[in-house]
Amino acid sequence: MASKPTSSGRGSDGRVAFLLLALPLGLLAATLIVPMISAINISLRDIRVIGSDGPFAGLDNYARVLTDGTFWHALGISVVWVVGNAVVQTILALTAALVLNEKFPGVRVARVWIILTWIIPTVVVVIIWRWLLSPSGGMVNPLLIQLGIIDRPMGFFASGPAAMTSLILINSWRWFPFVAIMLLAGLQRIPGDIYEAAAVDGAGAVARFRAITWPLLQPTLLVLTVMGTLLSFNVFDIIWLLTAGGPAGGTETLPVLIYETAFKAYRMGDAAAMSVVASVLMIGLALVLLDRLAPKETGR
Amino acid sequence: MRFKGQALAGAFALTVFGALPALAVTDVKIWHMEQPPHRVQRVQELIDAFNAANPDIKVSQEPQSWGEVYAKVPAAMAAGNAPDILFAIPDFTTVIRKAGQLDSVADFVKELDGQHHFIPATVEPYSYDGGVWAVPLYNMSLNFWYHKKMFADAGIAVPTTWSEWKAAAEKLSKDGVVGVGLPANKQLYTDQTTYAVMVNNGASELFNADGTLRFDNPKTVESYAFYKDLYKFSSPDAANWTWGEAEACFASETCASILQFSVISTYDQQGGGDAADLGVAAVPHADGEKSSSTIAYSNAAIILAKDAAKRDAAKKFIAFLLEPENYGKFLNMEPGLFLPVTTDGAKSATFWSDPLVVKYKPQVEQMIANSHAGMLFGFTGGHVFPAIGPISAQNILAETLQKVVINGEDPAAAVKAGQAQMIEATK
Amino acid sequence: MKRGPLGWLVLALAVLALVFLVLAPMWLVGTSSFKLPREIINRVPTWFPHSFTLQHYQKLLQTSAFPTYFLNSVLVAASSAFVTVILALMAGYAFFRLEFRGRDMLYRLIMVAYAFPSIVILIPIYLMFAKVGLIDTDLALVLVNVTFALPFSIWMMRTFFASLPRELEEAAAIDGAGRWKTVVHVLIPLLRPGIAAIAIFAFVASWTEYLFASVLIISDAKRTLPVGLSGIIGQYQIDWGLLLAGASLSVLPVVVFFAFVGRWFVAGLTEGAVK
Repeated sequence: MASKPTSSGRGSDGRVAFLLLALPLGLLAATLIVPMISAINISLRDIRVIGSDGPFAGLDNYARVLTDGTFWHALGISVVWVVGNAVVQTILALTAALVLNEKFPGVRVARVWIILTWIIPTVVVVIIWRWLLSPSGGMVNPLLIQLGIIDRPMGFFASGPAAMTSLILINSWRWFPFVAIMLLAGLQRIPGDIYEAAAVDGAGAVARFRAITWPLLQPTLLVLTVMGTLLSFNVFDIIWLLTAGGPAGGTETLPVLIYETAFKAYRMGDAAAMSVVASVLMIGLALVLLDRLAPKETGR
Repeated sequence: MRFKGQALAGAFALTVFGALPALAVTDVKIWHMEQPPHRVQRVQELIDAFNAANPDIKVSQEPQSWGEVYAKVPAAMAAGNAPDILFAIPDFTTVIRKAGQLDSVADFVKELDGQHHFIPATVEPYSYDGGVWAVPLYNMSLNFWYHKKMFADAGIAVPTTWSEWKAAAEKLSKDGVVGVGLPANKQLYTDQTTYAVMVNNGASELFNADGTLRFDNPKTVESYAFYKDLYKFSSPDAANWTWGEAEACFASETCASILQFSVISTYDQQGGGDAADLGVAAVPHADGEKSSSTIAYSNAAIILAKDAAKRDAAKKFIAFLLEPENYGKFLNMEPGLFLPVTTDGAKSATFWSDPLVVKYKPQVEQMIANSHAGMLFGFTGGHVFPAIGPISAQNILAETLQKVVINGEDPAAAVKAGQAQMIEATK
Repeated sequence: MKRGPLGWLVLALAVLALVFLVLAPMWLVGTSSFKLPREIINRVPTWFPHSFTLQHYQKLLQTSAFPTYFLNSVLVAASSAFVTVILALMAGYAFFRLEFRGRDMLYRLIMVAYAFPSIVILIPIYLMFAKVGLIDTDLALVLVNVTFALPFSIWMMRTFFASLPRELEEAAAIDGAGRWKTVVHVLIPLLRPGIAAIAIFAFVASWTEYLFASVLIISDAKRTLPVGLSGIIGQYQIDWGLLLAGASLSVLPVVVFFAFVGRWFVAGLTEGAVK
């Protein structure tokens, strides 16, 4: 680590850092760590309805949850959900970012307004798409019929895979512009002269993308993938409001299952156990991925 | 910490209200799930009238959403900030009883019964374990709604039996019209339509008298198989329907018929609003059965307050609501949806004088008639088993239906798995 | 770089596709909120309204506390944005300008914050907030919103700090300015675009939050827009006209807001970095 010490000297850095970090870290600890400890405590007890008390049950809840198929089923659905979102959002966002990185009339306006879908509350996103996809007044079915893609109205939530696809597309519709702007920021950090040198060498657009853009975008993509994975794994509201995990469990991701177990099946202990397992999995994944993102890269 | 927080809140309250004369006012907080703005408004009008007449009591409402209330109420009870009155349905009441101690309101209900005469079927779902746990407030029952003209044009009479029903649905389903709009999502609405089909095939009982489950029986399997047959004529997006989509489908004349509690206000505002074309009938019954039944929900008020003064104030307000003159106004917060639970309420002038009720009088009368044959799963046969709470909350009836109509599982196998799931849920 | 006719065509098509993807749903929702109910739910939908009415907006404003929800959302989102910026600046300075033991580990821990499923901490947070009297207060929502916006904001700070040459601060220090003077007079002005980007990010994250707002807030008068709107959806009926009017009215102010600050967000992210 080759940073230069600041003028006030290395010795006082630690104290200053402590003072500066006390508030941000204290808040995160109070709102994340403390509740998590409480969740761990609940997971070791046989608690049914929230708020009621229950006897100590050791690891019984964990044993039951981990041997029950629904947990693994939900985990599988979660993997599909996370991977689906990552793929769709990356493709859409990368396309959008590449387009917005070009120079054309109106690009400044486009760069601002592409973000429009991201500033819409989830509840409104749900209202919009429930209406657009419904056969009573929805535009999507007639449009697809006009384009010759389907020949009769289809049910976008009629089966597990259909519902999952619809959900992924709707969630991606909402998030891809944000990712696109983040990627655009990454693209803008690539010095233009590299491209010019490559163009002089006669490299085509595709070759330039593969040789320059893609590798240089890697760090940004990596962070966005980590964040995106964690964030989309935790997405609950849009799934709950659109399908509530249905049909027939086809979109029952882990957060949905946890919610149902806690508030529908009234097994708070089981829900907490699932939560702890999920958190451990996610923290492990995050740590592995983040290993490459320590602040040491910042210096220069 | 706790004391400090309360002290702070208290100090704040003092500075805000300190200027007011020190009158001992009892606050009564109500949570209900009738969130649409016009319903909230109507309840507020009644609250204002009550507060004006009772200066020593201050009633206030906080509308909640069914979506979160299952999480919110137990949490609020645990945290000590629960409301004093909570509107609920029978299965939710069993959950509340598990979350905290409830006091029986048997005496209060008896007293009210003496004045207004409750329809017995509305009190039953709240009477068990040696007490009455809530005061019935309004009833809702599922009906068969249809467009008279569409049926007449196709030369079809209103179906009363399953075979007629299926034939009608088949004949009406053409040119983009949905013969019968039936939902198949994992949600309460599908629980309701599924049970409405079951009760019409003699499969109304989920439990035996000893509390063991009897969901897995041939009558239930037949009902699921029949639902599957009908579902072919439902809308392609019905797997994601809640009540609203069904109503929209009906109002836009995409659906020729649907199963729904009431479509009146939607039909009037968004559909044609032609009262003569709106048909309502009982849910058709299986060919082997003699008459139709349906699913009915008795909605009721739970008194959560522990403090004696608050309990008395809460009772006073509930009694106020059930006074026929107020009661008619109360029911008409959604005209044509909420039906009376008392005999004198059913004659209330304010109920029948609402413009919408006047306009759709024959339909409302038919709805009340249908509601007399109403039952609710888990609350039939004079026994209530607490197991119904999680069974209902997890929508196991609907989940079983999804397995049949969406995954294409064999009805017998799905029902068997459903019963296993119910047993698991009640452990 | 030069672009041939084919390049222009591909670009134009891609731009059009993006514009359609983002704007077509908005157009349909916005215009349909002025249609008569029958036209909204018609089996054959229309791209351009055939009817015109303000009834949905009238109903929305008359019968619901929409303006209250709106103001609550603005208040909570603005406060969350403010607190997030302050905390992110503090943490950013500590992480990216100071040397101390455990720095890498702490930084990584912060990033791990998103690994906690929010659904898990919902009930413990409710019980905890109930103990300290925070239920049904805006402060509760601000605390939660800041928690979720902070880690990402700190990560964004990294790029912003990296783009500022330390020489500037060192020069200020040589001129005899103390650490805090340097921060206030040199660092913060230079970080302005980045601060704007973080503020907007935190604002939007709070503006769109639903789950915690729906459980931690009890009284109607304190509800935020998403929760208030979900209440209007209702249990047994869907009044699409009312909902589309509500959707339009809840998007419009943010659009206006974004018309003013949107370029700061994009500029903060893209131009804040060294080219």
